Amino acid sequence: MKTCSFTKTYGSHTVLQAPAMELSPGRIYAVIGANGSGKSTLVKILSGLLASDEKQAPFKEKPLCIGHLPQKPYAFRLNTLNNVLLGAAKMDTAAAKEKALDLLTKLGIETLASKSAQRLSGGETARMALARSMMQDYDLFILDEPTASLDVQSTILAENQILSYRKETGAAILLITHSLKQARRLADEVWYLQNGQIIETGTSEQVLYSPADARTRQFLEFYSL
Amino acid sequence: MRTAFFQAIELVFSGNRQLINIIQVTMRMSLSSSLVALLLGVPLGALLGTISWKGKGILVIINRTLMGLPPVVCGLICYLLFSGVGPLRHLGLLFTVEGMIIAQVILLTPLIIGNMESHVSDISPAIRETAKGLRLSTAKTVLLLMNESQYQIFASYLLGLGRSLAEVGAVSMVGGAIAFKTNVMSTAIMNYTNMGNFTIALALGIILLVIALVLNIITALIQWRLRR
Repeated sequence: MKTCSFTKTYGSHTVLQAPAMELSPGRIYAVIGANGSGKSTLVKILSGLLASDEKQAPFKEKPLCIGHLPQKPYAFRLNTLNNVLLGAAKMDTAAAKEKALDLLTKLGIETLASKSAQRLSGGETARMALARSMMQDYDLFILDEPTASLDVQSTILAENQILSYRKETGAAILLITHSLKQARRLADEVWYLQNGQIIETGTSEQVLYSPADARTRQFLEFYSL
Repeated sequence: MRTAFFQAIELVFSGNRQLINIIQVTMRMSLSSSLVALLLGVPLGALLGTISWKGKGILVIINRTLMGLPPVVCGLICYLLFSGVGPLRHLGLLFTVEGMIIAQVILLTPLIIGNMESHVSDISPAIRETAKGLRLSTAKTVLLLMNESQYQIFASYLLGLGRSLAEVGAVSMVGGAIAFKTNVMSTAIMNYTNMGNFTIALALGIILLVIALVLNIITALIQWRLRR
């Protein structure tokens, strides 16, 4: 999957200037960077939520099946199970229900299946939303800080589920994260963003342990990996 | 006040034809106009709350201006449109309940649009982002948005109904407060007050308040069920 190069400006302020990038199926790409570095703008453009200045599709290939788990997913006024079933292409089938319950079990919230989703805690909502996003198979699955509100135990469950999803579907996964440890645990490749520019890309070993760019080094030193 | 209250009770149970007609016309006009305004206002408000278009701000300002439209101005416009020299005279709507309903719809729809717009503006970005991420169809997204807005829709209906029951200016100008035809509770109270018959006016006021109270209790019960 090849992206086109694109930019996004608000007034005279350029918030993102992305070169053409390549994503391979079955690989996990971690996007790291400080707040306001352009990570969310990047995923919004890639997922089609936001138009770039060029007003063109972000990918060069035929329309891709892209799933996107936003930073603040919405819990609909349904119970947890029905919220998860919303993610299924055909939500009324027995197979969809079985898959939904399986995902809830793997994420440790199966006992909340009949509870109103709007009464879930922040962490429970995040896990429900992750399960809901995983009901379909995508070519590219974009996850915007999926474990930001999770405790350690739930984070491990969620990360295991992300790895299982990659293995089962062969999807390319773009993971936005503030946790360098998570990037190290999950990612095959890392993109470092600063001030709307992709400063460095490479394998996680390269970028996280021996970065070529001084700005990446400075960022990593600050986070004391 | 005590005499008026007992007189109101007496009037209700006496089967007074004029009173029953006033209540029937009031309910017909209020329920119809608030329902039509709801059917128009909810989709328009949801659309206005959802779109991200440069002219949206202008539409919101226009709607907010119409929310403050004085009922007598609305009544005057409708009167001029429906009167013998007006462009809609052939419809024969002047001094009819239908004409009063139209005037009420003009007054209520902007209120419901404004109420829905502010609610949908708040929740639609998150719903849109989540629905798009799940690759849901536009129809399904709209259904989910409406499902999320159930409470607000009832609140909007209550707002419209309350305004409709209490409104005097437009309905008296368009309806003419004709006995056994277009006289509603609010115009009847005004007429009896002008005639110096305060007791009956007070009695009608109490009945109007009881009707509003019953409708509000029903709506509150529905809202309470929706919140659970």
